Amino acid sequence: MDFLINLLPHLLNGVTLGLLFALIALGFMLIVGVMETINLAHGSLFALGMYFALFFVAPQLGLLPDLQAWYLALPIGTRYLAALFLAPVFVGIFGMALELAMRRTYGRDPLYGLLLTFGAALVIEELIRVVWGSTEKQLALPESISGAVLIGDLIYSKYRFFASGFAILAILVLWLFLEKTPYGAMIKAGAHDSEMVRALGINLSRLRLFVFSLGTALAAVAGVIMAPIWGIRPHVGVDAVVPAFLIIVLGGVGSLWGAVIAGLLVGLVVGLTGAYASEWSLMSMYLLFIAVVTFRARGLFGKKSVLEV
Amino acid sequence: MSDRVKKHQAQPNETRRKILKASAMAAATAGAWGAAPFFGPWKHNHVWSQAGQKKPLVIGLTMDASGQYGASGSMERLGAMMAIREFNAKGGVLGRTIEAIHIDTETTPATGSRVAERMITRNEAAFLIGGVHSGVANAISQVAQKYGCVYFNTNSSSPTESGKDCHRVKFVWDGNGTNFAHAIVKNALKANGNRWLLLTNDYVWGHNTSKAMRTLVEGNGGKIVDELLVPQNTRDFSSYLLKVQQIKPDVVATAVGGDDIKALRQQVVSLKMNQKPAWINNQQDWPDVYGLGPDAIFGVFGTTWYWRLDLPGVKELVAAYQKTYPGMAIRVPGNVYYNGYVATRELLRCVEEAGSTNNVSVIKKLEGRKMTARDRMQHFDAWINPTTHQCQQTIYMAGYNDKPAEKDDIFRILAQVPPQEVEDAGAPAACKLESYASTPTYEQ
Repeated sequence: MDFLINLLPHLLNGVTLGLLFALIALGFMLIVGVMETINLAHGSLFALGMYFALFFVAPQLGLLPDLQAWYLALPIGTRYLAALFLAPVFVGIFGMALELAMRRTYGRDPLYGLLLTFGAALVIEELIRVVWGSTEKQLALPESISGAVLIGDLIYSKYRFFASGFAILAILVLWLFLEKTPYGAMIKAGAHDSEMVRALGINLSRLRLFVFSLGTALAAVAGVIMAPIWGIRPHVGVDAVVPAFLIIVLGGVGSLWGAVIAGLLVGLVVGLTGAYASEWSLMSMYLLFIAVVTFRARGLFGKKSVLEV
Repeated sequence: MSDRVKKHQAQPNETRRKILKASAMAAATAGAWGAAPFFGPWKHNHVWSQAGQKKPLVIGLTMDASGQYGASGSMERLGAMMAIREFNAKGGVLGRTIEAIHIDTETTPATGSRVAERMITRNEAAFLIGGVHSGVANAISQVAQKYGCVYFNTNSSSPTESGKDCHRVKFVWDGNGTNFAHAIVKNALKANGNRWLLLTNDYVWGHNTSKAMRTLVEGNGGKIVDELLVPQNTRDFSSYLLKVQQIKPDVVATAVGGDDIKALRQQVVSLKMNQKPAWINNQQDWPDVYGLGPDAIFGVFGTTWYWRLDLPGVKELVAAYQKTYPGMAIRVPGNVYYNGYVATRELLRCVEEAGSTNNVSVIKKLEGRKMTARDRMQHFDAWINPTTHQCQQTIYMAGYNDKPAEKDDIFRILAQVPPQEVEDAGAPAACKLESYASTPTYEQ
């Protein structure tokens, strides 16, 4: 009984961690699923989202001291909301530029796209170093979502509950957008049969631009949410891109719910091993991945290929 | 064949002989005048022998610029560069200008090996300097020993570096986990209680530092209630912190470093666990805490230097850092920079004193070397233990400074402990230095 009582907080922690992993993977899933492009810059865009959030929460406007003073006088809650919504917009614009650069790689060896996004990742990371420097930064949070809550005799981070709730909201909004709106239908159709979509008169280039931009904006959303937990540093993107890649393959490429379930599984496994076999906590996600892919190569919710018997 | 043709054929041979004679004379004359005569293999020396000037002394900087210790690696590199800059301003060493080459060792032992091999065999580095991650430092030192190249481990602190992984060519400049544990444990047991939990980075430094901590805690009547291993590059500590709450130790002793300790400190603060239990971080590197904010600098931790020590030379070193590296995000130097600086400075002094870059001559200058407290900007004299090659130095205990004299005055020095009191007594038995005879001669 004691064991179960002790286990419960770790299960809860695993679920919240899993939701955050799913949030990190969402944008990556969208771009891989719809455009069949592995965006290796996902991690750097995630980091860029953190830095834009930093800018919107506590801007350094050396040339405009009055504007800076006015802005900083706004409540922290307002500035945080501005960061949460504007940082993804700015990163989305970066994403658009990246998609425009990627157009020359479409229809060619996928290696070109990989190399381009890898190069973009390096450029973005260095850009961050140039603009913001390389030291650790902190994102200030509104009082209402910072601090701790007491559950029984355990302290848990209030912000983690907010972050998990936000992750659920982001997943639902994306699902509604893809399933219940005409634009979502176009995106899914574009993923299944781009030639037919083009034949129906839909501007495929614009659609791809939008999807890529949306995917990168989601990377930024994840970055803003994760900033207070992981801290902000230029190379933090590496910590995001690896689990994101693992989760979308585990869940099945292109499957939204696959990514969510895989994220939750990874979160639970990492959370539980962290508590009971801590030296395995990072390794556990890779072991889970190997275990699943060994028996189901297309991932948990991946569609069966015509080549499979 | 006509005489004219024979004469014509003989001319090149005569010319070649003349050139050879002239070259030999020139080389001998150059040697007499003190310039480096050509003795070494052609591939090493042809450019400088042709140019008629002394070959620069190349120092290979094997510092991490990325990965868990990227931030610390960058700072120790600046420290080493500062010492090199000072020597070059005086005309270099042995009349040779000093050139530094840096390759990122990526906080990865395999990369450390590759970098060391390349620097020795291709870049003709005379010495190697740099190391924060003990696994990387160990890998570099194995390659250095193979060639006989003197290597300075500037900032990695696993007790094994001057214990079972010691080498004749390796010198360890930082305090190690055992030194810091000696400085901390007794007082912490009295002040905070007997039930300790160890939070250990899952690699050589973490393991050996926690091992030293465990030995001292248990030897002084304390109890280790659990040890949680933290894989490198862990960013989420929530499950660890829940476990800490469930176990309810009096003290959490961490041996966690680099980006991992930054994330841990922030997450401890977000749970408001920074006041209870008591936290002890074996060693706190300056780049891992700078900019984290006052709440995140909780607990007691060890260091080897602080930028506001009231000692001769400290202000000058800080001013030189700020002048040389204006606009740095880290506005004042810390322990990692300091180690990089004093280690490189001492190496170049030894080369000057030895009058040679020959490895054995330099090693003999270093073994047992005494350094005054004033010169090292610490409270007590330091020396290099000839049986372990570790620098025995002052260890400082610090905590957060709630009454800072200025913006970056974030540490409060709680105590300075002389090296004799924190000596790693087990190191001499564990360290088996290779003999001089079995260490290859190396000179660049």
